[in-house]
Amino acid sequence: MNSITFYSLVKREVSRFSKVAIQTIFAPLISTGLYLIIFSYSFKSREVVGYGIPYISFIVPGLIMMSLIQNSFANTSSSLIGAKYNGNIVDFLLAPFSYIELTLGFMIGGIVRGMLVGSVIYLVSILFYGGEIVHPLLALLFAFLVSSIFSLLGIIAGLWAEKFDHVSIFSNFFITPLTFLSGVFYSVKGLPGIWSKVSLFNPVFYMVDATRYAFIGQSDVNPSFSLVIIGGLAVGLLLLVTYLFKIGYKVKS
Amino acid sequence: MSVAIEIQNINKKYGDLEALKDINLTINRGEFFGLLGPNGAGKSTLIGILGGLVNKDFGRITVLGKDIISNYRETKKSLGIVPQEVTFDPYFNVRETLEIQSGYFGIKNNDEKINELLKALDLTDKAEIGPRQLSGGMKRRLLIAKALVHNPEIIVLDEPTAGVDVELRNSLWDYVIKLNSQGKTIILTTHYLEEAETLCDRIAIMNKGEIVKIDTKENLINSIDKKVVSVKFADSVIGLAEKLEGTSCKIDEEENRIEIEASKNDLNDLLKFINNLDLHIVDMNIESAKLEDVFIKLTNLGGDRDE
Ligand SMILES: Nc1ncnc2c1ncn2[C@@H]1O[C@H](COP(=O)(O)OP(=O)(O)OP(=O)(O)O)[C@@H](O)[C@H]1O
Ligand SMILES: [Mg+2]
Repeated sequence: MNSITFYSLVKREVSRFSKVAIQTIFAPLISTGLYLIIFSYSFKSREVVGYGIPYISFIVPGLIMMSLIQNSFANTSSSLIGAKYNGNIVDFLLAPFSYIELTLGFMIGGIVRGMLVGSVIYLVSILFYGGEIVHPLLALLFAFLVSSIFSLLGIIAGLWAEKFDHVSIFSNFFITPLTFLSGVFYSVKGLPGIWSKVSLFNPVFYMVDATRYAFIGQSDVNPSFSLVIIGGLAVGLLLLVTYLFKIGYKVKS
Repeated sequence: MSVAIEIQNINKKYGDLEALKDINLTINRGEFFGLLGPNGAGKSTLIGILGGLVNKDFGRITVLGKDIISNYRETKKSLGIVPQEVTFDPYFNVRETLEIQSGYFGIKNNDEKINELLKALDLTDKAEIGPRQLSGGMKRRLLIAKALVHNPEIIVLDEPTAGVDVELRNSLWDYVIKLNSQGKTIILTTHYLEEAETLCDRIAIMNKGEIVKIDTKENLINSIDKKVVSVKFADSVIGLAEKLEGTSCKIDEEENRIEIEASKNDLNDLLKFINNLDLHIVDMNIESAKLEDVFIKLTNLGGDRDE
């Protein structure tokens, strides 16, 4: 790896979203802030089966994960589809990037944005639930891995997409349902019959559940098991994306 | 002379279309090389393969002795490619674009080179402007500056002057000539054949995915045995048409001018004939073949153009 080459790509990715911070940082903050307000007032007295904590404390980790997921995905997917649309994708192809540098460079841009938005939302959520995190380092680790995963998925979506619409297909039909059905707002243990089993096939479930463990020390499944799944997914996607850059998937003719 | 680029048996198909058919080409270091050919000949495809924008089907290319596939990071550093298609990164102004581009090529603090390029391409007073606010010709100049920030050994210009005004075209060529005299290898594609004729040492002419001819500019032009003799007379040329039957000529009766095409062998007879006309000659001009004549002959543009 050439450090200047690599650092320049990371810098480009970070300055890209910083230049449009209103839409990349503040807009997500508003939507998640609204969730916090609505849930903390409407479900004040609601309890989650088996957890014995206020509902707002239960959902905060999931809400942070949701924004992390959406923002890291949005960052890499829009960066790549934009570069394809404007044609400046050739800059990345003509420059002496190794394929792993391209992968990591775009990925880190997505991680930075995801974790930035996630942190700001955490700060806001302190007002709503007090801000306690039982295992802060674990929370950081999960935040890092989850934003890596969705940054990588964003790269895949951006490479695959031929128009901006295609990216929203990816997020509307794939990411949003998986996130909403991942137990952000409920414990999957409390789901009736088969649905609690079906949830176990949703990878986002493990991300939300493990993060909740880091925040409140309780979870539906063993966090080590979740860590294996999340870590495995991250490594698998990293290899896949590097391969896609190598073959020039949908960017080289 | 050492070799800058060696292209061996390059083949590329797009579906059924054979964009490149077994291309072999060696370009030496320090050459000013022209890659010419009509639209769709395959020039940009070949350049794309060289720069890693297009996947080849078959064949091998080395840049300064290094394979472009197995040593792609080194070969990319040796190449400065100006793509035909004008593109820009909308998030960054001109100076930022060049700084980021320098970074991509592993260069920090490249202000000196960046300022030199801004000056050479007359972009200095546009340096803080976003690319959307640049005119088309300025965008292309930015594209050229981008390809040169890392001071590449080999510079590939795919129609760099399309849409660039005359004055800047000239200053661009002055700059490129300077780079060439410093030892940089230049590869140029252009549809302005006079440009190629003035600048290039050696020229390859491509047509329909094949290289139909590679030679020095002089040899190419000499390969066409054609002289155009034009004469302006003081007296009327009406009636000359009959005498000139059988030759390829144009007669301008209003200007009292004739223009005759002849091979070098016929020059003697032709000049005698003109002298014997017993008309008063006011002006006379003999032109040699041009690169354009070679181009038209080799690519059949005049004849069966099937596009
Ligand atoms: N991405 C692509 N997909 C399919 N066909 C392509 C693609 N790019 C180029 N071609 C075809 O390959 C052939 C060669 O194109 P190329 O762009 O190399 O020509 P060129 O010599 O650069 O022409 P021009 O002078 O117009 O720039 C053309 O017939 C073109 O239609
Ligand atoms: Mg072309």
